[in-house]
Amino acid sequence: MVKGFKNLLILGCGSCVTVCMTGGEKEVGILASTLRLANKKKGVSMEIIEDTIERQCDREFFDDVKDKIEQADAVLSMACGVGVQFCSEIFSGKIVLPALNTKFYGATEEQGVWTERCAGCGDCVLDKFGGVCPIARCSKSLLNGPCGGSQDGKCEVDPENIDCGWQIIYDRLKSLGLLSRLEENEPVKDWSSGRDGGPGKIVREDMLL
Amino acid sequence: MGEKKIVAFCCENSSYKAAEAVAVTESSVLDLVDIVRLPCSGKVEIGMVLKCLEKDHPGVLILSCPVDNCKYITGNVRAKKRVKMVKKALQNAGIDENRVHMDFISSVDTYKFITIVKEMNDRLLKDRPPAGHD
Amino acid sequence: MSELKAGSNLERVLQEGHFAVTAELGPPKSADVEIIKTKAAHLKGNVDAVNITDNQTAIVRMSSIGAGVLAMQEGLEPVIQITCRDRNRIAIQSDVLGAYALGLKNILCLTGDHQVFGNHSTSKNVFDMDSIQLIQTLKDMRDKKVFICGDEIKNSKKAPVVEPRIFIGGAANPFGDPFEFRVIRLAKKVNAGVDFIQTQCIYDMERFEKWMEQVRKRGLHKKVKILAGLTPLKSEGMARYMRDSVAGLTVPDYYLERLSKVEDKAAEGIKICVEQIKRLQEIEGVAGIHLMAIEWERRVPEIVEAAGLLPRP
Repeated sequence: MVKGFKNLLILGCGSCVTVCMTGGEKEVGILASTLRLANKKKGVSMEIIEDTIERQCDREFFDDVKDKIEQADAVLSMACGVGVQFCSEIFSGKIVLPALNTKFYGATEEQGVWTERCAGCGDCVLDKFGGVCPIARCSKSLLNGPCGGSQDGKCEVDPENIDCGWQIIYDRLKSLGLLSRLEENEPVKDWSSGRDGGPGKIVREDMLL
Repeated sequence: MGEKKIVAFCCENSSYKAAEAVAVTESSVLDLVDIVRLPCSGKVEIGMVLKCLEKDHPGVLILSCPVDNCKYITGNVRAKKRVKMVKKALQNAGIDENRVHMDFISSVDTYKFITIVKEMNDRLLKDRPPAGHD
Repeated sequence: MSELKAGSNLERVLQEGHFAVTAELGPPKSADVEIIKTKAAHLKGNVDAVNITDNQTAIVRMSSIGAGVLAMQEGLEPVIQITCRDRNRIAIQSDVLGAYALGLKNILCLTGDHQVFGNHSTSKNVFDMDSIQLIQTLKDMRDKKVFICGDEIKNSKKAPVVEPRIFIGGAANPFGDPFEFRVIRLAKKVNAGVDFIQTQCIYDMERFEKWMEQVRKRGLHKKVKILAGLTPLKSEGMARYMRDSVAGLTVPDYYLERLSKVEDKAAEGIKICVEQIKRLQEIEGVAGIHLMAIEWERRVPEIVEAAGLLPRP
C-alpha cells in the first residue's frame, strides 16, 4: 500500500484509536519503526515522519500538521475510517491511506479487551431491553430472541468469544424485576433510521456559524 | 569503537544484579552490551525494542526474572507477550526475529548471563573482531 | 368442525384430531430434479406433509418453493420453510404470494442458522425480521389481508383482495437456554398467530415432558398444535456427534449404551425411535410427530408403520 512513496507521514489520532491501543502515538512509533526496518532490509529509501493529532474528525486539529501533510507524498492515517476520509477530503489531491480496519463501536471491557456494543441503528431501543442492545449484541439482531443457538450463555456463532446477547438481556431484565417486558412481541424494526436509509446527515441550525 | 552493541534490557531485581556481579569478575562480556535497567521486565515496550534495531543495534536481549519469581507477579508474563509481538513485527518486516531474544535469569546467575550475551554476540556478530581486539 | 384457515391436508389431519406425522426433505445442492423424486417416493402416503428446508445450515440448495412445487407434483403436501437470514420483508411477502399462487399452503417460519455455518460464510445476512415477526406477518396477510406496510393485498384499487391463506408453522426448542424462557417464547409465537409448532429433535424425554408441563400450565397446547421432533439414530457415531456437536441437544447415555451393545445399530436406532413415538403419543398436548430422517428418508415408511400410524387419514 505504501510502495513507491518517498516521503510518508504516519498520522495517529488521540481519540478512540488511542483508547483501544491501535492508532495512538505509541502505535505510530511501532509502525514507523517496523516500516523503517523493512525498508532498510529491502533497500527502499523512504523518509517516514511520525505525528499524532488530537482527533482526525474535526477540521481544526489538522492545522498543526498542515505543513507535514503537504510535504508528504502520502499520509498513512492510523485513525478510524472517518478520520482517514476526512483527512483525504480536507487535503484534496493528497493520497491518504488507511492503516487500520475499523470494526465497531465498543467499550473497554478490561484493559486489552474491547467488545462491540452499538450498531448505530439510529432508533435506540435500550430502554426496552434493560440497557442491553439486541441489535448490536445479538448475532442475528433479533428483537424477539433468543434463537435456538444460545447455549450456556454463549452464541453458537463463536461460543469462545461471543456472549449470547439475549441471555444478557434476560439476566439484566430479571435482575431489574422487568422480565415481563419480554412477553410482549416486539414489532418489525424501521431500519431506515440507520445505515439502511442511506448515509446520514445531522444539522444543528443553531450551531451553524 | 563507535560500533553499535547489543542492547540488554535488564530487570533490576534479577539480571541487573547478575550483571553487577559479573562486573567484579574477570569477564569482559559487559563490553559487548549496552545495559538498560528496568524496574521490571514488564516495563519493556514494543516500540523501544524496535527502535534499538532501527538504530542499528545488532540485537536486543530482554533478561527477566524466572517464571513465578517476578516481584510484580505477572511482569515477566507481560514481557513475554510483548516480545512475541515484537517478533511478529519483525516477521512482517522481513527481519530475522532471532535478533531479539528473551531469557530468564536470577540475580546470582552470573554464568548464565555471560553465556547468553556471548551466544548472541557470536551468533550475530560473526564478522566482527571479537571484543578486546581492535 | 370449525372452518379450515388454509385448507391444507396437514391442517385437516390436525383439526380432525389425528396424531399427525410430518417428515423432512432437503432439496439438492444442485438443479437435480431426480433426487427430489427419489426421496418423495419413500415419503408419499406415509406422512401427512413434508417440510422442504430453506438453505438449511446456510448451505446453498434449491429453493424451498422450487423444490416444494416439484414435491407437490410427486404427490406430497409440502411445508415450505422461510428463514429470516436471506430475505428481507419485501422478498418474504413476495415469496408468500408466489408460494400460495403455486398451491403451497403450509409455511414454517424460522429465524435461520447464521451464515457462518454454511458454505458462504462471507455473505451479508439480512435478519430484517425475526421468526416471531415473520409469523405475525403471515397471520396479518391471511386474516387482516394486509402487507406489513398496511396496504391491502390487492392488485389495484378496483381489484379484488386475494390474500394468501397459509397454515402457519413455527419451531420450538425445548432444550435451549435460558430454559425458563423457552415456554414464554412459545407463548409469544402463539400470540403472533402460529397454527402449528415443530420442535427440535428430542432424545431427552424427561426434559421434554417437563417442558410440556409448562406448556400445558399456560394452556398453550390448546391454542397451537405441537408436533414433537424426532431423528432416528443411525449409528453410535451419529449419537455421539448429536450429543457433542449440536448446540442445545442432549442425548442420554442409555441410548449410546444400547447402540454399543448390538450389531445392527441402525435397526436398534429405528427401534428406539418407534419407542419414542409411542411414549410421545401418551403425552397430553402432543398432536403429532415431525420425523427428521435426514438422508435416511427410505426408513420413514417402516418407522411410521411400526409405530402403528399407517394408513394415514
